Amino acid sequence: MTAKVERLVNLTVALLETNQPMSLAELKRRTGYYDQADQRAARRMFERDKDELRRLGVPIATLPLPFSDEVGYRVVRREYELPDVDLTAEEVAALALAVRLTGGEGTPLALAKLAARAPDPAELPEPTTRVELADQAVGAVADAILDRTAVRFAYRTAAGVAGVRTIDPYAVVRRRTAGYLVGRDHDRDALRAFRLDRMTELPVAVGEAAAFERPSDLDVAAAVQGPEVDGVEVELAVAPAARWAVESRGGQDTGRTHEGEPVMVLAELDPDRDRSWILGLGADVTVLVPASLREAVMASLDAVTEAAQ
Amino acid sequence: MSATADVARMLTLVPWLLERPGASIDEIAETFAVAPDTIRADLAHLDFCGLPGLGGGDLFEVTTVADRVVVRMAEELKRPLRPTAGEALRLVLTVDAVAEVLGDELPALRSAIGKVRAAVGLPEQAADVLGTEGPASLASLRAAVATGRQVRLRYQGRADTAPMPRDLDPWGLHVVDGTWYLQGHDHAADDHRIFRLDRVVAFEITDEPTRTPRPADLATPRYVPGPDDTAVVLEVDARGRWLEDALTVDEVRATDAGGARLSFRTDAPAWVARLVLMAGGDARVLTPDGLREQVSALAQRARERYGRV
Repeated sequence: MTAKVERLVNLTVALLETNQPMSLAELKRRTGYYDQADQRAARRMFERDKDELRRLGVPIATLPLPFSDEVGYRVVRREYELPDVDLTAEEVAALALAVRLTGGEGTPLALAKLAARAPDPAELPEPTTRVELADQAVGAVADAILDRTAVRFAYRTAAGVAGVRTIDPYAVVRRRTAGYLVGRDHDRDALRAFRLDRMTELPVAVGEAAAFERPSDLDVAAAVQGPEVDGVEVELAVAPAARWAVESRGGQDTGRTHEGEPVMVLAELDPDRDRSWILGLGADVTVLVPASLREAVMASLDAVTEAAQ
Repeated sequence: MSATADVARMLTLVPWLLERPGASIDEIAETFAVAPDTIRADLAHLDFCGLPGLGGGDLFEVTTVADRVVVRMAEELKRPLRPTAGEALRLVLTVDAVAEVLGDELPALRSAIGKVRAAVGLPEQAADVLGTEGPASLASLRAAVATGRQVRLRYQGRADTAPMPRDLDPWGLHVVDGTWYLQGHDHAADDHRIFRLDRVVAFEITDEPTRTPRPADLATPRYVPGPDDTAVVLEVDARGRWLEDALTVDEVRATDAGGARLSFRTDAPAWVARLVLMAGGDARVLTPDGLREQVSALAQRARERYGRV
């Protein structure tokens, strides 16, 4: 039996070389495969091969055959072939280094395609910095983003609320350890960001391709960071151990003291999100202003004590 | 590896080799990020591919002499298959993340990305990387690594109550999903140590040259649990699920109302206690008892600061 990989390569060659759609019988004559006595078995084998090649991105078109009820198949060369990418030797080397540094699965092949007909890489000095990236499940949304097709998926929010979302996928954004899908949420009619690892079922395409336009003023950073919050000015009494942490957050010494400790001021804190940062500083800071944050921190500390009982 | 992945590689291998007659097996293996034996198997299959026929076409001719490879008669596959949407998106996100980190050292990477985006039809807005910018100390630390100068840090270790001085030979910088690390030989510990840059309070580049050479392969700065580490179980409410991302968790078991039970090990219980405090009542320690008491004591000491007013 011929190896399957050889059969798939030869099927690709046969579909590429023809100018007319070929029926299964013609493909059988040309390739020598799909010659089982049981015609249905031959058809099943061909269908599996065709699906597998399509998954690799081989654009197999299904076309009507003249004077026949059957359909024919072919691959249009210009849809299959990647046009030459005009990369310099330095650019090839820089891309190869980026791919090697991160070691992402699948990226070496993508680069080999792009650089197949480009010059060989130039020599580059070893960089001072290594880069590592968590692998993101972008494959499930990539087609929809490029084809501009709406997708539907089951999602669990940060607060644990489960639901089904339908969105126009505009972009994939990577931020620190997480990957996000950014798009217009149909039910809310608003721009939203969804963490890929909180999708509890893989996205499925719904509706037609080219169903929407990506807005020209799309601000993916704003979508991922969430709505702007009016920052408040916070004053903290700071013990020596926490001083560096407050300074690294942009804290300035006011010159005043509170019970012997310097009072530092932070502009533009988000009273909700930054409360946990303040809690993490433990017994090394006291919130003086605003009173609402001061009370929220006191209540949170009481809640911690209660939870530990 | 699946036959599908093999076919994807072989369809790229042919045009790549047609451009590079005489390429070595090792060079091919490195480019495609697979073992040399995998490439040998690919070539053995390709020798059986190609379709001889009256209207043109022939068997591919693969010649390997002393590990140098020549492919002929494979003009049907002279250009690579276009990358799939998933391949294109992953490549662009990967290269973009590296460019954010190393753009100054690798200027060719920035121009290359534009060409790659154009070639795969992925507009800038459809794939973006956020939040990889390093701290202000970066340029000086890079110079110290590149020129081999000793560095003196004031460093807040996870287990330390206050920043401590550390002297080291800097070996290299490392970014893991947006978190920056400096690796080097710690003089006091006389061993390899890893420092998170966001815990560096202050630093000074000395005139002293480094003494301990950098090892050939620097390990990844990632926590590996040791035998003396503490086994911890936390229970978090739906609102405390962010702790899952902040910790390297071994096991997550969902509980009622969107909460979860998180099991993991740590070499720095004091740091975990701070994280639980940050959750402000949305998380509690189930085991060990000592850690729960530590959290409770920490919360009470912090609360007493408000009591005295």
